[in-house]
Amino acid sequence: MSRNGTATAAPPVIAAPDFKKLDNDINRPLESFPTLRWNIAITITGSLATLFLFCFGYTIFTGIGSWGNNNPVGWGWAITNFVFWIGIGHAGTLISAILYLLRQRWRTAIARCAEAMTVFAVICALQFPLIHTGRPWLAWYWLLPLPNANEIWVNFRSPLLWDVFAVSTYGLVSVLFWYTGLLPDLALARDRAKNTVRKLVYGLLSLGWTGSNRAWRHYEKAYLLFAGLSTPLVLSVHSVVSFDFAVSVIPGWHTTIFPPYFVAGAIFSGFAMVATVIIILRWMFNLQHIITKDHLDVMNRITVATSLMVGYAYLIELFMAWYSGVAYERYAFMNRVMGPYAWAYWTMVSCNVFIPQLLWIRKIRRTILLMYPVVILVNVGMWFERFVIIATSLSRDFLPSSWDYFKPTWVDVGLLAGSMGLFLTLVLIFCRFLPTIAVAETKAHLPGSQPAGGHHE
Amino acid sequence: MTKEVSKNHRSETVGRRMALNGLPSREDTAGLPPQADLHPLSDTVDRRTIMKLMGASAVLAAGLPGCRRKPYRKIVSMADTPEYQHPGKPLYYASTWTEGRTPYGMMIKTLEGRPVKIEGLPGHPLNRGTSNAQIQGSILSLYDPDRLKAPMRGEKTITWEEADQEIMAALKSAGKTVFITRSSLGPAERALIKEFLSASPGARHLVHESFHDGPRRTAWQAIYGEAGTVQTNFAEAKVILSIDSDFLGTDGDVLKTVASFSKSRVVKTGRIDAITEPVSSRLYVAEGAMTVTGSNADHRIVIRPSFALRLVRALGSAIRGETGPLKQAAGKHGWDDKVLLALVQDLKANPGASLVVAGPHLPVAVHAAVCLLNQALGADGKTLSWNPDPHALPVDPPGTIHTALKDGVDLLLLFGVNPVYDWPAGGFDTLIQKAGLSVGHGLYHDETLNACTLALPSTHNLESWNDAHPLPGVHGICQPVIAPLFDARQEAESLLNWLRALKPRTGRPEEPDDWHDRLKKHWQTELLSNADDLEKAWDDALREGIFGQPVTVPLPEPDRKKANALSSMNPPECGDRELVILPHHAVLDGRFANNGWLLEFPDPISKLVWDNAAVIAPETAETLNLSEGDVVEVCTGMHSLVLPVLVQPGTAGGVIVTTLGHGRTRAGRVGNQKGVNCSPILGSGPFAVSPWVMGNAQLKALGKKQTLVRVQKYFSMEDRPIVLHGTAGEFKRNPHFVDLRRHLSEDSQLHDAYDYSKGPKWAMAIDLNTCTGCGVCTIACQAENNIPVVGKKECGMGREMHWIRLDRYHGGDPANPLVYNQPMLCQHCDNAPCESVCPVNATAHSHEGLNEQVYNRCVGTRYCANNCPYKVRRFNFFHYTKENLVDPVQELAYNPQVTVRSRGVMEKCTFCLQRINEQKFKYKNKGEPIPDGAIRPACVQACPAGAMVFGNLNDPNSRITKMKNSPLAYFVLEELNVRPNVSYLAKVRNPHPSLDHLEGKGGHG
Repeated sequence: MSRNGTATAAPPVIAAPDFKKLDNDINRPLESFPTLRWNIAITITGSLATLFLFCFGYTIFTGIGSWGNNNPVGWGWAITNFVFWIGIGHAGTLISAILYLLRQRWRTAIARCAEAMTVFAVICALQFPLIHTGRPWLAWYWLLPLPNANEIWVNFRSPLLWDVFAVSTYGLVSVLFWYTGLLPDLALARDRAKNTVRKLVYGLLSLGWTGSNRAWRHYEKAYLLFAGLSTPLVLSVHSVVSFDFAVSVIPGWHTTIFPPYFVAGAIFSGFAMVATVIIILRWMFNLQHIITKDHLDVMNRITVATSLMVGYAYLIELFMAWYSGVAYERYAFMNRVMGPYAWAYWTMVSCNVFIPQLLWIRKIRRTILLMYPVVILVNVGMWFERFVIIATSLSRDFLPSSWDYFKPTWVDVGLLAGSMGLFLTLVLIFCRFLPTIAVAETKAHLPGSQPAGGHHE
Repeated sequence: MTKEVSKNHRSETVGRRMALNGLPSREDTAGLPPQADLHPLSDTVDRRTIMKLMGASAVLAAGLPGCRRKPYRKIVSMADTPEYQHPGKPLYYASTWTEGRTPYGMMIKTLEGRPVKIEGLPGHPLNRGTSNAQIQGSILSLYDPDRLKAPMRGEKTITWEEADQEIMAALKSAGKTVFITRSSLGPAERALIKEFLSASPGARHLVHESFHDGPRRTAWQAIYGEAGTVQTNFAEAKVILSIDSDFLGTDGDVLKTVASFSKSRVVKTGRIDAITEPVSSRLYVAEGAMTVTGSNADHRIVIRPSFALRLVRALGSAIRGETGPLKQAAGKHGWDDKVLLALVQDLKANPGASLVVAGPHLPVAVHAAVCLLNQALGADGKTLSWNPDPHALPVDPPGTIHTALKDGVDLLLLFGVNPVYDWPAGGFDTLIQKAGLSVGHGLYHDETLNACTLALPSTHNLESWNDAHPLPGVHGICQPVIAPLFDARQEAESLLNWLRALKPRTGRPEEPDDWHDRLKKHWQTELLSNADDLEKAWDDALREGIFGQPVTVPLPEPDRKKANALSSMNPPECGDRELVILPHHAVLDGRFANNGWLLEFPDPISKLVWDNAAVIAPETAETLNLSEGDVVEVCTGMHSLVLPVLVQPGTAGGVIVTTLGHGRTRAGRVGNQKGVNCSPILGSGPFAVSPWVMGNAQLKALGKKQTLVRVQKYFSMEDRPIVLHGTAGEFKRNPHFVDLRRHLSEDSQLHDAYDYSKGPKWAMAIDLNTCTGCGVCTIACQAENNIPVVGKKECGMGREMHWIRLDRYHGGDPANPLVYNQPMLCQHCDNAPCESVCPVNATAHSHEGLNEQVYNRCVGTRYCANNCPYKVRRFNFFHYTKENLVDPVQELAYNPQVTVRSRGVMEKCTFCLQRINEQKFKYKNKGEPIPDGAIRPACVQACPAGAMVFGNLNDPNSRITKMKNSPLAYFVLEELNVRPNVSYLAKVRNPHPSLDHLEGKGGHG
């Protein structure tokens, strides 16, 4: 915001000159009947979410055999999806925590949405480690360090256990952070509510928010604390997820670059997903004046920056494989680039490194129809990145006698498509019942909300 | 020891047990047949609670609805605990395997009256405690719910009395009776048949098999002047030449051959200066299809089987000093003349210590020429001896059988044969229809029994009394270890019954009552007559399973003139392509086709499961523009086969190889419609060299694809230190050459190493020099550890469950590769990568160095399998065991000492933990240390080559310690610092010194 002298000058709001209009614009989807656009969208995503539930149940009832997993490739699409969804969540936390701490005010317009997506992405991600186990009916609590009569403890040496802690902490903190930020806006929804049910529900959810000075003071403190708490999580969660691979002995997995590489990739894919969804939402709920092209421009800049990071990681992986002199490592990467999964590798490189370079061009960054294919392809590319890491490494490891090729089944496809459906359905429901944009926070940036002429920080 | 246990006591208590369960009982209605006798290996056991026994037998009884047998006797309540039998304590019985052509000795483990595992009989001269896949699989066939369960007339179940009446009536009036059996019949059975034939003047006994060694025996009979077979002694041979004979795979008395051959392949690693020949034998193999034998060759020459005669003749003249014809033939057919000249030099340099064998499918002339060659090499009397009374009868050619049946017979008895399935040209069912009364007696309601008027169920090998004559001087006994599960009767018992129609009972007391009595009498009069106490002698024979000592019968004087005449019969010219049909490595001629273990037993060479295929060379595939799975029509003139193509390096160009035994239509639920029945084409066309080699075969692509499933898909070692190898020459130059090729890791440890010195430290060693790659270990492990069969589709998805697999790698010339076999099982790493990654601690290391998998705790994250560098962990993607279960009788085949795994858990080799504990407890109770070799996991016990050794590394004198300290020992992937406990002895080939370079680089760089 140029007025405040910040460098990344995306003004938070363009066409909402007064508080009343802002309240109305943001609360309209909550208070009016769903639009046709919303109905069509939820029909599609709801069907996919139903497909997810069906495939979920089918897997539980028939077994992992209904997937394409085989003997060398013990993990297939499920873990690919898990890592993919966990990665998606990173943009939300980054926007709400790190950018908050860095006082990047343009975040205000998209923070709520991105945080919500974090929560939903974690929800989607959590499904996969659970159903990918052979006996989910035991796994869900045997993986937790609960005291038990058998005196069997979990194995603290296992990265999967670290995963349990990392992801559950991340999920929990994300939900709390999101909810804390929602409180003033829930109270607003309560105050605007005209029927009793709405009043009651929003009233309960807003935890008796009065808007008093004291409440605001506590709120600001809590929000800052959560931002501080979430910041290391942005880095730690995906680092720990990457340990699932890095700690193993499998060539292609056993690399020290994984933690930073995974975090960069997660932010990259997270921003792409936020852009993918938000472009639809601003159109669906007529929020173009709040979530502006300036916002998208800034997000695209982050996307291209992180794209370069993952591109660097791809190159350094190849270099290290060659430089290490380890035959297995060299083979693993030659196999990625030229083996039976070369198509997946080159899809990944194209979508993640080559195509995002288009975002250097300002016109593409600011034209919805031009940038949209790019961000969609980044999502595709980042899914393939995880698939390439998991499937190619496992399918050809040490003993050629065991090498085999992984082919997904319809259940695998159903779970992936279904998880997209689940995610988008949750997003749509969120837009319908909760304010998509942080009203209170946005108001703080409106002209006249701060003491005139001064730097309020 | 149970020698003191009186058999009467046992039979009574068994009877009591059944009686207590409220079932009609007779002494032989329970799990144990009455007169069966314990093998001395059975343990003495102490008294335990009776309740478990009753519970177990209730389960047993519930599973055996068909085991009623009349008449009932001795209903006595089980007031005392049987002294010899305790729940969980196995009893062992000696018996003989009669399902195949070679009567190996079996030792059958029974628990609570039911057989659960079969091992080779220790001390049996043929197999010395080892076994083959079919013996291992026999236990599954016993409990096969698809067995014929009662006599049937058409679709209607009848009683044995009705069947007997009908047959006896027919016998009395029959003018012409034809009786067709399999070739392997015991002496007592043969005597019974003889009596039957003499009592029935119009009767004729014919023998049918679709694969046999007829041409070889014809040649031998002509040359040696009497019926019999030539016995080979590989242990004495320094130079061995196999002419298309898979003597390590399917040809002959394989278990005996493998043991003696393997002895000559043990690399001598004693004092270096004293070793002149590190490997005592050199194997040359000239073959058309890559076989197990070929994969063990020091030099392999690719020849077309129809050219075998030319090769043998040329070798004959080369031995006499004329190498011209050999060089000429080599040039003409593209044989490697350097190898052939080296072979000639070797043969000439080792008179009396060389041996030539030829495959049974080759024509008479080849065998005659081989006899001459062997004689010229001085093999007669040295590496060859004679068996005047082979176990298998000579087989009657299909033409003879056809002639006997084509005008119709009054009574046709088909015993244990399946000609409707395997008749050349097919159409045997019309011959059956011409018979007045046709009777099929067999284990299954198969193609033949279905075509017969009466289908009679036979008892299984493990439910039958029989005897055998495995080797000169040795007799074997086959005793039942369980009462017939279904309303089945032994074939000999039936014949004995029907004989009474022709020879009514005399009523004399010495007349045998039933087949058991007759067999006993036969033994007591023919074999045991010198004994003081006939009863005791019989009991002893039963207990030991064998009687007598092997004697070496010298080879009769050969008739050279006849041999020359026979060997000069030229086979027909075979044109560009020939079709070769061999028995399948697992289901043989199809008799084991309903056995899931055997159908899923990967081909030792191609690793193909569940199918047979037209195997062709890569060059043939390229010429004809075919790729794997392309469906082709193979035509030899009259008949054709439609088969998928399998491309196998090492196959001779111009040769199409396929196998018998598949394509069954009435094998049962498991075996039906698996693969293609190749028998109809046998011997067809004008260019048939022998029934199994047919020239001028045409190959035509049909433009269709069929999925063939190989459980191993990549055969290159990728220059990795997986199978380390070298040559005998290298070894002589530097006995520690293996160390130069090992990739050792830094000995770094994150945690302190565990101190294993307090107890035993288990480990295994596998000698890649003696291992032939046959894969019996896979099936033995499957039988011991309740490993489920998963089916073709699941195998195709890469989900086979075998805990031990045979990896095969190619090296050298891609067209004629050198093969390296490697059994791969859990390496029980001390730094196991699987253990650290399991989040729930379901896999952990024991204090004795075992990597243990706790099924109950496993939630199935599969991380352990991902992180296993050897990929030996197996995941239960479905509840395979439950899905395979169609009848409760199948449950009896499970080993109760091993958990049956459910869906969603990981499993893998345990080093047969249950066997380790059994011996540990036994010796702990005795207060003695466990002797070396007392613990043998199933794979180790079955291995015909003795290539695997298991033991305690903390015992400095154990075999395992010695093997681990061998200069050839290495670990696979040891650079990963996972510290495996399975050491391998590097493969040392023994090429001719002038051809040492053919081995290539020798290991990887």
